[in-house]
Amino acid sequence: MSEMKSATNPAKAPEAKKIPRPIPRPNTYMDTRPFWEAARNGKLVIQYCKDTGKPQFFPRPVSMANGKRNLEWREVSGKGTVYSFTNTFSAWPGHEDRVPYMVALVELEEGVRMLANLFNVKAEDVKIGMPVKLYWEKLSEDINYPAFQPA
Amino acid sequence: MAKRKDIAVIGYGETKVTLKGGRSSYDLAGEVLEQILNQTGIDKDKIDGLSIAETMSETSNPFWGVYMSEMLGLSPHWMQLNGLGGTSGIGGIARAAAAIRDGLCETVFVLASDAQSSGRNPEQGAQRGEFQYPIGLRGPVGAFGLITQRYKYQYGLDDRALAKLAVTQRNHALMNPNAVDKLQKPLTEADYLNSKYVSEPLRMLDSVMVCDGANGVLVTSTENAKKLGAKKMIHPIGYGEISNFKGAEPLADITVSGFSVAGPKALKQAGMTPKDIRMIMPYDDFLIALVITLEDIGFCPKGKGCEFVMNTDLTYKGTLPLNTSGGQISAGQPGLAGGGLNLVEGVRQMFGEAGARQVSDPRNCMVTGIGVIPYGRNWGVSGVLVLEQS
Repeated sequence: MSEMKSATNPAKAPEAKKIPRPIPRPNTYMDTRPFWEAARNGKLVIQYCKDTGKPQFFPRPVSMANGKRNLEWREVSGKGTVYSFTNTFSAWPGHEDRVPYMVALVELEEGVRMLANLFNVKAEDVKIGMPVKLYWEKLSEDINYPAFQPA
Repeated sequence: MAKRKDIAVIGYGETKVTLKGGRSSYDLAGEVLEQILNQTGIDKDKIDGLSIAETMSETSNPFWGVYMSEMLGLSPHWMQLNGLGGTSGIGGIARAAAAIRDGLCETVFVLASDAQSSGRNPEQGAQRGEFQYPIGLRGPVGAFGLITQRYKYQYGLDDRALAKLAVTQRNHALMNPNAVDKLQKPLTEADYLNSKYVSEPLRMLDSVMVCDGANGVLVTSTENAKKLGAKKMIHPIGYGEISNFKGAEPLADITVSGFSVAGPKALKQAGMTPKDIRMIMPYDDFLIALVITLEDIGFCPKGKGCEFVMNTDLTYKGTLPLNTSGGQISAGQPGLAGGGLNLVEGVRQMFGEAGARQVSDPRNCMVTGIGVIPYGRNWGVSGVLVLEQS
């Protein structure tokens, strides 16, 4: 817990003692356990509004489409394209050892976007519109974290 | 806020922007209050409203506004905390105007003070711990890296236009004694182009440097301003604001901002078009934001912002003077008081008190605010204020 707190304090990072890469704690701002349980099994699930059929990401307490709580988790393909990307040279605290690293905004074919790291690709080869597929990064015993790689 | 001149801004104050200045947000705010009292000659006890920006330094204190009142010896009948990031200053004026019109108070101190070097930074929480921090997106820098990359893909990006903005603002900052000392050196186009990437394609010189500082304005009704014997006054005549623009659309274009809504709304209230704007003080956390702001408010078509910048004299002597105190990028960003930096410069210009960088015929000014970095979208809050002389 203290880890997460200091991890979010970029202004103090240079003087602060080195902190490890932040690991998500599921189920903090709402019930995200279905997401992380599926991730452990290599499956990506996102929320769908059962009234309108619309998907959404990140998980929310209500449907973005109609404000109701009639939501369900559905597995998605994990296929998408790069909508935008940035090669990060100045690290977010806890990521210093990874510099430079690629952060992308990936558009899934189901119609939502996800922030994610890109793996198995050189920075100069990343292009907007490039097809990508899921890549699971094991951050801890319990956490499989969704990332992407060229399809 | 329909076009009327029943509300007046009658004073302003601003501390010097400092890097790790060592003074608290309270102490800096006291300096702003004293400046305003000296400038207007108004008695402190006439201030019966406080419209105060949230901060990075003190917001973990849930009673920040009341503590500030106690610190400054104010007894407000009306208080407003503005958590709109860089929109808090102009949003604070709009809210003060509404409160004055509703009779809740008469004279409002609209204050922003943030000394990030002195305090503890609050945690934003929500989804960030699970869906952002593990990825390492570099906060605002990373988010603007994504916006810039997408902009470049959709419209092309002329680096010379960004360099021109950087150089124009720096030249303005060199005439501003309140600008942070560290940036008081000339800048060339080559300096900008050779600046290293922090989150490619975003460069170091695209970005603000976080500093400490405070600023504020005094707002009252025009009628009361006359009663108080105000020496100078200008009027807020149009305001537009939107948070979480296209918030229910998961595939919204991240190159389009809430200024496409807030800009036309503010201009309509003011009874103006972009061509009528004498000078503009747009919120500048990153240079690309200036390009997108000019486009979305309607100074030029979408995607033509760089061309507009290249074809327009944006210096204090020009046809559309822009951020004449250097903007945050060259004067330093006083944390979440940053939105007030360009606001105060607009008021100063319209009072005719900008010294060496004075704009001729400062009849009106547009000030904008940007706040908050959402998940994978354009920025979170957009606000536009139009000010006009009497």
